[in-house]
Amino acid sequence: MAEDRSKPSELDQEKYDADDSVKIICLGDSAVGKSKLMERFLMDGFQPQQLSTYALTLYKHTATVDGKTILVDFWDTAGQERFQSMHASYYHKAHACIMVFDVQRKVTYKNLSTWYAELREFRPEIPCIVVANKIDADLQVTQKSFNFARKFSLPLYFVSAADGTNVVKLFNDAIRLAVSYKQNSQDFMDEVLEELENFKLEQKEEDEPDQAHSGRIKSLSLA
Amino acid sequence: MCTAKKCGIRFQPPAIILIYENEVKGKNRQRIMPVRNFSKFSDCTRAAEQLKNNPRHKSYLEEVSPKQLEKLFTLLQGHLCGQSLAATMEQIQRETAIDPEEDMNKLDDKELAKRKSIMDELFEKNQKKKDDPDFVYDIEVEFAQDELQSCGWDTESADEF
Ligand SMILES: Nc1nc2c(ncn2[C@@H]2O[C@H](COP(=O)(O)OP(=O)(O)OP(=O)(O)O)[C@@H](O)[C@H]2O)c(=O)[nH]1
Ligand SMILES: [Mg+2]
Repeated sequence: MAEDRSKPSELDQEKYDADDSVKIICLGDSAVGKSKLMERFLMDGFQPQQLSTYALTLYKHTATVDGKTILVDFWDTAGQERFQSMHASYYHKAHACIMVFDVQRKVTYKNLSTWYAELREFRPEIPCIVVANKIDADLQVTQKSFNFARKFSLPLYFVSAADGTNVVKLFNDAIRLAVSYKQNSQDFMDEVLEELENFKLEQKEEDEPDQAHSGRIKSLSLA
Repeated sequence: MCTAKKCGIRFQPPAIILIYENEVKGKNRQRIMPVRNFSKFSDCTRAAEQLKNNPRHKSYLEEVSPKQLEKLFTLLQGHLCGQSLAATMEQIQRETAIDPEEDMNKLDDKELAKRKSIMDELFEKNQKKKDDPDFVYDIEVEFAQDELQSCGWDTESADEF
């Protein structure tokens, strides 16, 4: 699985540069409920696209923000460690991040620091929402303080994918944050990454003129 | 039809026994469902499924969850392996509970799916479905944040979390 480094056309990320399109990534440990949250927000008016090579499910959604139609791609990622090598493509060009932990499992909260550090390495500026999921299992947690969110001044949402508490609000707020980030930022990091891509591309073609095509695919997957 | 009251297992000769109430209220009846072709190598999940779908027992077992039947078959299997009842109970406890300390990022697909199916029980119990009469799509709840207690998961020092 990890050996397959070609980039399928459906993963073309150029489109996220268009004005009316945003990319929102959903991160967090295995089994914290990322997919259940997505499903609760979108109900069944959608056809997710499974990209098993990337351990990724893409959900397309259309939203209206300030009277404008916005195309939203949600990237529902997998928490399992063996997909670590895919993470760079998750972060690439993302405009907002939803970072989930499970209120019943301390490890998932502790691991937020790793997810967050990685996010900031690739996307230093994008808005990030911390999500405490599964509050239906224990409502007491809504009366507790979680320093992680406070330390990094991140908004914290108490939600339940099971009974639906605050799920729609969470996603709508994330979309709004993504749109306003996009309007106000220069996306320096993306430009730098693109420069790097082009640079590698040229180098490859010089090295292996006969294999320019495969060389191109390989270098792109490094981005 | 019939209301299931209790469901248990008899080791010798092996049978699943159901106590249920008939239409005639207040009268408990017992149904003995012999377990055949089951060994210490059998798959308990499948055995439970087969019994639940058995045309002769099906209507009686409607209210008994596959999980409970599976548990009973696991007890029988423990007995067939010469394991003590306490040891089998402990094994079941281990296999049907979530270890809150476990890092699930390290599990393979099969093990992860097992954990998720355990979690599904509570999820389904608490789930509000679209076709429920009181279903509301957008539920916003504000939780007062004035008298917070520490979650207990943060380390003591001020800038650690
Ligand atoms: N009680 C309760 N259980 C939940 C809730 N959300 C998810 N779960 C349970 O948690 C399990 C894992 O949920 P998933 O959505 O598959 O988790 P994920 O974060 O997508 O996991 P990976 O894709 O493996 O990284 C599910 O099987 C549900 O049973 C919730 O709000 N309440
Ligand atoms: Mg998932």
